Amino acid sequence: MKKLCIYLFSLIISSCLNAQETFPVNGTANKNHTVYAFSNARIIVDPETTIENGTLIIKDGLITAVGSKIMIPKGAVMIDLKGKSIYPGLIDAYTNYGMPELKKATAWGPQMESNIKGAYGWNAAIKTETDAFRIFNDDSKAAEELRKMGFGTVLSFQKDGIARGTAAVVSLSNGRENQLVLKDKAAAMYSFDKGTSVQDYPSSLMGAIALLRQTYLDADWYKKDKSKKEYNISLEAFNNLQSLPQIFETTDKLNIMRADKIGDEFKVNYIIKGSGNEYQRLDEIKATGCKLIIPLNFPIPYDVEDAYDAYNISLTELKHWEMAPANALALEKNQIPFAITTADLKDKKDFWKNLRKAIGFGLSEKQALKALTTIPAELLNISDKVGSLKAGMLANFIITSGNLFDEKNIIYENWIQGTAYKITDFNAIDVRGSYDFSYGPDRKLLQLKIEGEPEKLKSTLFVDTAKIPVNTVVSGNSITLTFNPKEVQGTVRLSGNIDKDPLVMKGKGQLPDGTWITWSAHYISPFTENAKKDTAKKQSFTYGEVFYPFCAYGQKADDRSGFDKVVNDFKNRYNALLIKHVTVWTNEKEGILKNQDVYITDGKIVRIADDINASTLAFAKVIDGTGKHLTAGIIDEHSHIALISVNEGTQASSAEVRMGDVINSDDISIYRSLAGGVTSAQLLHGSANPIGGQSAMIKLRWGKSPEQMKFEGADGFIKFALGENVKQSNWGDINTVRFPQSRMGVEQVYYDYFTRAKEYDAKQKSIAGSKSASVFRRDLELEAIAEILNKKRFITCHSYVQSEVNMLMHVSDSMNFPVNTFTHILEGYKVADKMRAHNIGASTFSDWWAYKVEVKDAIPYNAALLTNMGVLTAINSDDAEMQRRLNQEAAKTIKYGGLSEEEALKTVTLNPAKLLHIDNKVGSIKVGKEADVVLWSDNPLSVYAKAEKTIIDGQIYYDIEQDLKLRQEIQTERARIIQKMLEEKKNGGPTQKPVMKKQQLFDCDSMQEDYLSE
Amino acid sequence: MKKLTYLLLLLSSIIHAQSKGILITNATAHIGNGQVIENSLIGIKDGKITLVADATTAKLDKSAYEEIIDASGKHVYPGMIAPNSTLGLTEIDAVRATNDFREVGATLPNIRSLIAFNTDSKIIPTVRTNGVLLAQVTPRGGLVSGTSSIMMLDGWNWEDAAYKIDDGIHINWPRIQSRKYLDDDNIYPGPYEKNKNYNNQANELKKLFSDAKAYNETESKEEKNLRFEAMKGLFNGSQTLFIHVNNVKEIIEAVNFAKTNSISKISLVGGKDSWMVTDLLKANNVSVVVSRVHDLPDRPEDDVDMPFKLPSLLQKEGILFCLNNEGDMEAMGTRNLPFMAGTAAAYGLSKEEALTAVTLNAAKILGIDKITGSIETGKDANLFISTGDALDMRGNNIEKAFLKGSSIDLNNDQKVLYEKYKKKYGMK
Repeated sequence: MKKLCIYLFSLIISSCLNAQETFPVNGTANKNHTVYAFSNARIIVDPETTIENGTLIIKDGLITAVGSKIMIPKGAVMIDLKGKSIYPGLIDAYTNYGMPELKKATAWGPQMESNIKGAYGWNAAIKTETDAFRIFNDDSKAAEELRKMGFGTVLSFQKDGIARGTAAVVSLSNGRENQLVLKDKAAAMYSFDKGTSVQDYPSSLMGAIALLRQTYLDADWYKKDKSKKEYNISLEAFNNLQSLPQIFETTDKLNIMRADKIGDEFKVNYIIKGSGNEYQRLDEIKATGCKLIIPLNFPIPYDVEDAYDAYNISLTELKHWEMAPANALALEKNQIPFAITTADLKDKKDFWKNLRKAIGFGLSEKQALKALTTIPAELLNISDKVGSLKAGMLANFIITSGNLFDEKNIIYENWIQGTAYKITDFNAIDVRGSYDFSYGPDRKLLQLKIEGEPEKLKSTLFVDTAKIPVNTVVSGNSITLTFNPKEVQGTVRLSGNIDKDPLVMKGKGQLPDGTWITWSAHYISPFTENAKKDTAKKQSFTYGEVFYPFCAYGQKADDRSGFDKVVNDFKNRYNALLIKHVTVWTNEKEGILKNQDVYITDGKIVRIADDINASTLAFAKVIDGTGKHLTAGIIDEHSHIALISVNEGTQASSAEVRMGDVINSDDISIYRSLAGGVTSAQLLHGSANPIGGQSAMIKLRWGKSPEQMKFEGADGFIKFALGENVKQSNWGDINTVRFPQSRMGVEQVYYDYFTRAKEYDAKQKSIAGSKSASVFRRDLELEAIAEILNKKRFITCHSYVQSEVNMLMHVSDSMNFPVNTFTHILEGYKVADKMRAHNIGASTFSDWWAYKVEVKDAIPYNAALLTNMGVLTAINSDDAEMQRRLNQEAAKTIKYGGLSEEEALKTVTLNPAKLLHIDNKVGSIKVGKEADVVLWSDNPLSVYAKAEKTIIDGQIYYDIEQDLKLRQEIQTERARIIQKMLEEKKNGGPTQKPVMKKQQLFDCDSMQEDYLSE
Repeated sequence: MKKLTYLLLLLSSIIHAQSKGILITNATAHIGNGQVIENSLIGIKDGKITLVADATTAKLDKSAYEEIIDASGKHVYPGMIAPNSTLGLTEIDAVRATNDFREVGATLPNIRSLIAFNTDSKIIPTVRTNGVLLAQVTPRGGLVSGTSSIMMLDGWNWEDAAYKIDDGIHINWPRIQSRKYLDDDNIYPGPYEKNKNYNNQANELKKLFSDAKAYNETESKEEKNLRFEAMKGLFNGSQTLFIHVNNVKEIIEAVNFAKTNSISKISLVGGKDSWMVTDLLKANNVSVVVSRVHDLPDRPEDDVDMPFKLPSLLQKEGILFCLNNEGDMEAMGTRNLPFMAGTAAAYGLSKEEALTAVTLNAAKILGIDKITGSIETGKDANLFISTGDALDMRGNNIEKAFLKGSSIDLNNDQKVLYEKYKKKYGMK
């Protein structure tokens, strides 16, 4: 790689970029139509076609002919490339080359509205009006860096906003921008990052997704509604760029699926800019059908010499270090098309090193070349111009010493639009080798050996047994040697001329005493490389298995190929569990049954009986439940685990955001909660605003993708919130702007939104099927609220004090919508009669209080009092830690208020299932229900009870014994990778200091998340 | 009406020390030191425990007692002790005006928690109702947070409630890695970063301690230094140094720091990584006030049950430890201390070892084991009767509790509200 780093500074040897037609000339015109003919080269026309000993002819910046037997026109400049290769110039489909620097203003206090002046859309993160070609400027320094790597063409765009406008294809040549812009509107760019916008909305990933979704709808309406109630630059531009390739930037593999989901909704097939960890979810990514642009941003190893420090590095980080270089290989193996970009590299100089590493891991050279030439050209619809070497295409090519991907390859010249950029002089004479050498008066025959790199030669003079180092500098055809001979003090200086064929060097010089002498060196044998250069080769290209999810306690995927597939299918078909002699807490009228056998197959509870004969049930895994207890899986009505972000609290209502868009299947909390017997959780929006987002109901299917974790067929819910959080009481004096700031305002938020939603819904229904339906502006926020009115979406409302609870019941009465659940509801006991009258359930904490003013009257007897008043009551966690001890929290209802043990268990199983409308599927142990059950070591309400097996859909997702094995595996896997890292450090590789990354835990109040970092 | 209720509450909550003898019979006595007496006799006189015996073997003169409590089928436990607590120093977390546990400044050994302890806190009665009868009330923040005192969770005022005054000084060992918070209120934590000030902070502590030591050894002092004066007890062995520290490397540094300053009584508070350096702790006689049991592991690859089983890891290595509840909502959550002991019992401790972790061990670490922490004759009669297993939510039902032999009020505002609304709804 040094060959590339130490380069001869680029020199424009000729200019084919004709002065632009429209520009006046200062001086005499300099028209130039020189023909260049490159002969005797190995020409890689495209990744599929190679011409040995071929000729390439270019003129006026274009290729005029390529082939093996080509007539060279008279008067062409002849360039003999014997032994050298020509490749198409490389293309980077993801750069910000030549874009102006972005400045992010600092925002003080809330900023509800866009501060961009003009007829733009309402949100400053939608920057569809940005056209890269308008703001593009030649940047010779950046261009040179990319040219050195072999690139000739890039896609460039302004990396700012969620919709980023258009990108341009530009040339890496230098000169007037008029010549450099190859395609003005080449692609439309998107991301989940609002960039420099300091407008509050969106503050979360689900907000960003919702904004994009609504923008698609608004743009569609804008296009169709000819009455044009408004002029909107952003929507106009958005519509205009829809026909272009649509490129979406992601920062994690899960975001690829998120982007693809948006694409599916609006019939867009995005090209995805990946982040380098795609190998962690290959199946799902393949299923998206998206083409990718991937970076080669491999992490450097951590310094793990100190065992305590190393303890701070997560298994995810360790494994990603090992596997990141195999990402491209994994994509190739799975036939996922991808281009390679230099983006995301901390140091662009690592590009070739990393690409070769990826090839070392098994990426084919052909695929690598495609990823840098034909694929990006196809993605950007510029295959007619660049990406291969055919007549009529741009004269963009690189001249190399040999195989482009070989470690010793040298890129000599990078020709772009017919202009040569010299990188390494291929006419330079390679003087390395052994010589018969003589100098001075006696001209005694000595041996001289010249070794090292062409740019950094190392020579040795052998005098008898002594080895004298000789400083050697070659410049063009002259050479200078200096050394200190053994017999005399001082330095001998020799200068001379190099003759090729045969290689002879001779000239004159001075001895230390000033005497002029002659010298000569005659080439006798070539330079042979030392074996130790191969340390790089020794680098191991092996790596461990992918875990699902990609972290500690993740599981290895079953081998789905060949024979194993057959076995697996067989196993799955007969997948059954038989739990013998267990105490069953049915949660049904049967109550607690002792010494029962429970048979589970096909994900369902099939039989509960005194004695089920195991031998008649082939393939059933038999579990001895003697002395143990089996209960329905715990369901948490109020959870924020397994989410990327929680609050979109920037507006009084965020009904349009969906927690289902931001499920994080990598959250270790999922596994920890499984270990506490939790099988399902409702993932709620936070409580930052009166109308929050739409909830997601999940089963804790650890290892599965976000979509696979969703609870099938569950009703949709939405989070509402009252009190101190929504009026921002505890957010400091700066947050006194957003409406509402008092409980009085909260009520009006509801009247306002429900009034609007009613009118919206009525209008939508009245025009359904009519012509004007197509010009109706869909509003996803009001639609979500209309769903509540139509009893298709249900409210769970964060609430504390009785006055506000009373208020919402009044609003619901007068606006005619039901409130399904009051969640937290610590003063529920004060209005239990009213709640019962309204048939509203409660989901509360067992004993929390005193953390803010609105919970000073909270009492731990709340759940029991509500239950005894006939209010359907659940105990929730709102906390990743408490979630895994919900059985203990349920048991507190026995202590505080005297619920029976059966009633107590129901507060975390059947009752939340009822509140969530999933009690027909889960929540009790009943034949026909889904087999979401937990085997406990003890009475499940005992403080001494442990979940031993947590079963979802009849599959064991947590097993206390398997857990011990996983711990051992984690340790072994860590140790293996750490040893590898130590080896890298020993070999002198760079390392980074280990710093612990602690995961974020969310509760209702969690506001400011950096949702784009993992 | 409300005022009247409060008044009644106040009158009933505090009862003067009694001199008549009380005898508790037939209970299962959990002594606190690991022993259990299935059918016990426990005598109380003048605030002290005067008799602990097995009813099946002991001869007894019942007439010596004026009150006999038949506790058949019930359990007697020593009063639990909550070390490192902000009880009485905070009332409502979100209301700054009610928070009295943090002072301005980095090194404040002379700050005393005792002074701000609010005996009328509405939280305290809800805590003692679950069997927690003593608390080490502890200031927070800075490098040296201040001086703690051990308080009874019943008293007219802080003087009255004081059990051991100025028992220890609490320091927060600087973090090698610190985390930036994403918001102004330090609620939403960001990623860990290397703490650039680590050396400065560690040096500041070292200088303070060596200066204070020298000051306290000097016979004629030029000028009085309140901070140095406050640290005198650390060097003469009458006070314990509580070092709040979790990370393994910081623990090593902190223990060596304490050793260098010839401090004889050292206890770690938190000690999440303490299981990794038990040899060091044992060699230096360092005890651990273990971080909250009901917590999540720090690192994703940690054993899933890590905080649950940390007590048993220390038990196995013979390290003296007790449990505490520092963290979110810590004051009101102190009432769950018995259940943390219960959880620790589910994950490796025996039930009696778990009880010891919230009674006698805590007394030892706080230097009050000669007078409390177990049901042994000669000790203060700090104990309670529960109808069931006090470490289990299903059994923890405290019928009577005694501090220095006085029966304490087990009512609280939450029970009052409960009764009020039961009455509203016509429930029994």
